[in-house]
Amino acid sequence: MSKAVLIDTTKCIGCRACQVACKSWNDLKGERTVFSETWSNPRFLSSNEYNRIIFREIDRPDGQVSWHFISRRCMHCNDPACASVCPVGALEKMKEGPVVYDDGKCIGCRYCMMACPFQIPKFEWGSAVPLIRKCTFCAERQALGLAPSCVTTCPTGTLLFGERPQLLKEAYRRIGSEPKKYYPQVYGEKTAGGTSTLYLTAVSLEDLGLTRVGFRTDLGDVPQGIYGRAWMSKVPFVAVAVGGLCVGLHYLHKRRAEIKAEERKEG
Amino acid sequence: MAEKVQKWYPGEGKLTIGRAILYVVLVLGLISAAARLFLGLGATTNLNDAFPWGLWVSFDILAGVALAGGGFTMAATIYIFNLKKFEPLLRPAKLSAFMGYLVFVIGLFFDLGQPWRIWHPMVMWNPHSVLFEVSWCVMLYTTVLAIDLFIIGLERYGKESWIKFFRDIYLVLVVAGIMLSTLHQSSLGALFLLMPQKMSDLWATKALGPLFFCSAVIGGMSVITLESLLSSKIYKRKPEIGILSDLGKGLAIALLVYFAMKVTDLYARGATVWVWDWVHFWFFVELFGTVALPALLLSFPEVRKTQKGLYWAAGLAAFGVVLNRFNVSLTSYIGYRQFGYFPSAMEIFVTAALIAMGILIFDLGMRYLPIHRSELGGEH
Repeated sequence: MSKAVLIDTTKCIGCRACQVACKSWNDLKGERTVFSETWSNPRFLSSNEYNRIIFREIDRPDGQVSWHFISRRCMHCNDPACASVCPVGALEKMKEGPVVYDDGKCIGCRYCMMACPFQIPKFEWGSAVPLIRKCTFCAERQALGLAPSCVTTCPTGTLLFGERPQLLKEAYRRIGSEPKKYYPQVYGEKTAGGTSTLYLTAVSLEDLGLTRVGFRTDLGDVPQGIYGRAWMSKVPFVAVAVGGLCVGLHYLHKRRAEIKAEERKEG
Repeated sequence: MAEKVQKWYPGEGKLTIGRAILYVVLVLGLISAAARLFLGLGATTNLNDAFPWGLWVSFDILAGVALAGGGFTMAATIYIFNLKKFEPLLRPAKLSAFMGYLVFVIGLFFDLGQPWRIWHPMVMWNPHSVLFEVSWCVMLYTTVLAIDLFIIGLERYGKESWIKFFRDIYLVLVVAGIMLSTLHQSSLGALFLLMPQKMSDLWATKALGPLFFCSAVIGGMSVITLESLLSSKIYKRKPEIGILSDLGKGLAIALLVYFAMKVTDLYARGATVWVWDWVHFWFFVELFGTVALPALLLSFPEVRKTQKGLYWAAGLAAFGVVLNRFNVSLTSYIGYRQFGYFPSAMEIFVTAALIAMGILIFDLGMRYLPIHRSELGGEH
């Protein structure tokens, strides 16, 4: 039922066609961007860039340099922190896979940006009436039975679109058939409760130096939203306990004062 | 129209230097706020995708609400724990609490990307969201405080039958106020439960909720102390040293409890404390300079019973609460983000104007409402 995309970064040649396709399908404004130290361009995701290829050069033991290209975009978590924290429910996980955003509800509090463990939601800082922007997994294309525009554009088959369980099976088939080519883990299978964007890499994300730029490996297998929900589940009990305690103590003291007054009268 | 109550304060009707400064700050802030509304957040603040929350959240919202904790702290002390001797401090506390929440709401209005949708959480619900709960509690609690001040206003105009109605339901208001405050003061800390990996070990704890609650009590008590000392000076009254030194004892206990909570939490999590860098510098200032030191100061009767001593101890404790909110929401992320953040001039102007506005409103309340005990006839 739930769609996902498997990103086999070993197949990526860094052509950035998916970046272009993403911008044109979503009608995102062109802007002057700059190269990073490693030739990534643009340097950061923003309200105008939902997808970017991170370039990485890794020194190999044989003295050669190997290139790695990793697409960074919304992970479309199975249980997204952004949707869990949004006070007005503007963000929502669809059962089809995409995490979508309702322009009409958002109040612009930016809690989703604080809470997202992958730092994906971006704000329209340039606008006087700003909204949150991020990859939509082309939910409107999916509704028409089409694949996301990045997947359709990719010339090397790096991006594979399909049902999540099947993609996971395929990912492990690839790891099993060519163990030397792949790092034996699928990023997104369990991270933060599992995501709809899945990654295969040649080496670990630590070796690629990506853990501080959105590919955290210290998140654990539980969705971040659970911490907030655990707190919220206690709120009604705290409310009743505090309220009851207050009323009880108030009447206790009142009764005590009455008894004291009576004793004084009698004595 | 009822005529003005027989109140007169020095400097009334005249433009004193203090008031002139407040008005200038207010005007600067109004200009900045207008610029923010028309040009947008990106053009007027230094906020960015790496620091979506900045000065306005740290000070106007987190610190403002904590410092306004005096209202519920005093209400609980007097009506629930039956310590009636603190009654003279209740009304000023309510007034300063209302002022604090007004600062919060206006600050939040300018901080939101879509300010005119500030009412959305009323009709669009997400009961999973801590922020949803905070917004409801703050809405309701600000209403409770407004009713409280309304009752005080009724007293000024002598509307006895109305006052009787409110006095009959007063316990409901008190209990609702304490309950709502307990919930949102702690939940403001719980907002940060979701991002333990992004935060420094020093503040990323499951105990953020209880810690925020406890420090809100500290913030409330120290602001009441400062406010009482300052207003006795400004309005030329005798300071309530006796009551304040008793409150100082309470503050010392709250500080000690808070200190114990923090140390226990750090120890239990095995946080790396003894390192020297900027993040740890602010942590040490917070824990030792603004929690342990004022607690130590207040343990000496010589300090507790003098104006100067109380100024210092309460000042340090209040500063510590503010510092804690900045640490949790900003300092804590320094090691994590790719960009830096320092508030823009306009952000600072708006926050300064909110403080000035708070002081002016407080002054207005002190002048036009029966707040001080000398203005109350008998039972109240």
